[in-house]
Amino acid sequence: MPVATLVNGRLSMNKGIYLLALLVAPVLADASGGAASANSAPPDVAQGRQIYEQYCTACHGWQAEGAANWQKLDEKGEMPPPPHDETGHTWRHSDAMLFRMIAEGWRYPFNKSDRLTMPAFGESLTDQEIAAVVEYLKTLWTEEQREYQATESQ
Amino acid sequence: MKTMVRRMSSMLSRLFLCTLVVVMPALVQAQSADDGQPVRALTTSSSGALLVLRDSGLFAIEGQTATEVPLPPSNPGAQPASLANGADASIYLAGPGLGVWRYDSTSKRWQSLNDTLPDLGVTAIAAHATQPETLYAYLGKDGMFRSRDGGAEWVKVDSGPREPVQAFLHSDMPGSMESGWLFAGTTRGVARSMDCFCFWGDAGDLRGTVSAISYDPAAPENIYAVVEGQIHHSADGGETWTNLAVPQPVTALAFSPAQGLVAGTENGALLARGDAGEWTPVHE
Repeated sequence: MPVATLVNGRLSMNKGIYLLALLVAPVLADASGGAASANSAPPDVAQGRQIYEQYCTACHGWQAEGAANWQKLDEKGEMPPPPHDETGHTWRHSDAMLFRMIAEGWRYPFNKSDRLTMPAFGESLTDQEIAAVVEYLKTLWTEEQREYQATESQ
Repeated sequence: MKTMVRRMSSMLSRLFLCTLVVVMPALVQAQSADDGQPVRALTTSSSGALLVLRDSGLFAIEGQTATEVPLPPSNPGAQPASLANGADASIYLAGPGLGVWRYDSTSKRWQSLNDTLPDLGVTAIAAHATQPETLYAYLGKDGMFRSRDGGAEWVKVDSGPREPVQAFLHSDMPGSMESGWLFAGTTRGVARSMDCFCFWGDAGDLRGTVSAISYDPAAPENIYAVVEGQIHHSADGGETWTNLAVPQPVTALAFSPAQGLVAGTENGALLARGDAGEWTPVHE
């Protein structure tokens, strides 16, 4: 089975390899007596993925694929949840902005109501957990997108 | 008799020359201020002067006085087309074949900002509403570019809306995921994007080729767009639009701190919109 399909049918090969490293890393770490291998993913990525799966998948999807037709407003005049993979725009935001959106939520200003479009998770998640989610999201982008986002975060 | 006639003739010639020397500058100024040529672009300067781009050149108009501002050196065929006023009141000029230039009001010279642009085919420029170093340029062939260091380095950020951009602006209207919004006048209508370039969508149902666009910095939900010479106003950030009556077809727009909405027309007039919606010439 191709690596990319193993992890996510829509993922690029780069991303597949990155996520494969994520799956294999704990095994490698165990084999080396618990010390992180030089090739393992950053320590909070696995935690970020776990939190993402618990809190974010209901709207943004297990594969971070977002809602179908996410660029068109829904019947409530609301902006549907975007994908977090390379097809979305998450990679265009700095770390600080992503953190703020997860913590405080965000309202589409034309939704003609006071409801938040993206709910706030600042009460449910610690700062460290939010940062871990942001780190996990970075594994879903292309290398060029990671570079762009790193520049935005400076 | 012949000598007298010759003297008279000589005196009259001198008198005519003197009159010409005295009157000509005033004539030149009057012609420059409103010479019947369509207004191509408009913006304001830090002193409150209106900067007016016509085919005949660029003019700074303050009260009754019009002063020509020499255009930057350029290749034949360059078309100055777009003016922008930066958050620090710097003036920018752009156009196809011209690229992007900034006017240094101290040295009274233009500085080229084209070193890192892929080509000079800039059809529209916008300056960030609050960040003096952030500029946006739309290149017909290459899409949307942004500079965060005053034009030293340009980076492609986006392809832009589906349709080509004729004019655009940055606004600090609240609600963006980043620091503001971009409104682009295209051949389809007005396209809107947060300045993260997350995606471009239609700003309401206004359809047609938008040739000019402006907004009220003091009330940024108010956007004005020109379609086929008519001004359309949105009071809700581009969601809905209404038509504003204008006495002549409009070709350019600017928002002046002193005069409010100013329209440049196809006939070369500059009109300011009063509180009651009436239009009056700006130099009266």
